[in-house]
Amino acid sequence: MTHPGELISAYLDGELTRAEIQQLFSHVGGCGRCASELEAMQRVRAAVRSLPLLELPQGLVPEADAELVPLHRNRGFMIGAAAAVVALVIAVAALVTPSVSAISVDELTSRYGARASLDPAFGPAKVVVPHLVDIVE
Amino acid sequence: MTESVPLTWEEVARVYGRKIYNFAYRLTGNGDDASDLVQEVLLRVRKGLAAYQPGSFEGWLWRITRNAFLDDVRRRNRRPTAPLPDEVDRWDLASVPSADIEYSRISIGDDVQKALLELPIEFREAVVLCDIVGLSYEEIARAVAVPVGTVRSRIHRGRKLLRESLI
Repeated sequence: MTHPGELISAYLDGELTRAEIQQLFSHVGGCGRCASELEAMQRVRAAVRSLPLLELPQGLVPEADAELVPLHRNRGFMIGAAAAVVALVIAVAALVTPSVSAISVDELTSRYGARASLDPAFGPAKVVVPHLVDIVE
Repeated sequence: MTESVPLTWEEVARVYGRKIYNFAYRLTGNGDDASDLVQEVLLRVRKGLAAYQPGSFEGWLWRITRNAFLDDVRRRNRRPTAPLPDEVDRWDLASVPSADIEYSRISIGDDVQKALLELPIEFREAVVLCDIVGLSYEEIARAVAVPVGTVRSRIHRGRKLLRESLI
């Protein structure tokens, strides 16, 4: 009978389908060699995973630094950008008057993403300046 | 797997720097080489981010990382002043505890690190990407540009060799 070999490591890594797991254990149940290999692989895997996670040497990675300009914004809406929008919305809210409100909010949404100011799930902006949502509408 | 894309290379550095360093350390066995590799990877990330197409960011990042490592290995192998015996000696030094205060002083950790360094590179990188970095087989396959079946085989064969070294 063919020994399942590679299935053993893949099983330990959670990389097997249910059918493959059944195939593995129907073999291992009657094969002492594979049963002992399963145990050995488990120990080896645990040994490698027990290696300590090392800290980065100091100074190797740049700290947050204002003068380092982002190279490219690909996609997604990151926390930093969201925080910037919240700050901006707060600032606008402090200054807002009926004559400028519609324009500035439109600009905000087009420049910084509609989600930040319109998405009901985006709590902070709505809570801080609830009247801005009305202005947009 | 993280699909959201960090905005800048600095963020890549902050989020992934430690993982890249650990990947590099376990592959090379010493802190200086690992530090050099981290800097080289971040340089490549900085150059490559502008052209990055949305997709598997980690696949992209780890492909850059392992390519930087392999380029370094090839460069060392080509260097006439670094014949193989010296290279072997240098890598043997990996078992000597470095100045890195985080380095495990438990002997089993030294043994495992030494055994990793004795693995063929293909097996070593597959095992490290799986057990140290924590990538799935599919992510490793993307990073290394081989089929998932090859990843499965390399990890298992790598572990079998580790068992022989460690027992």
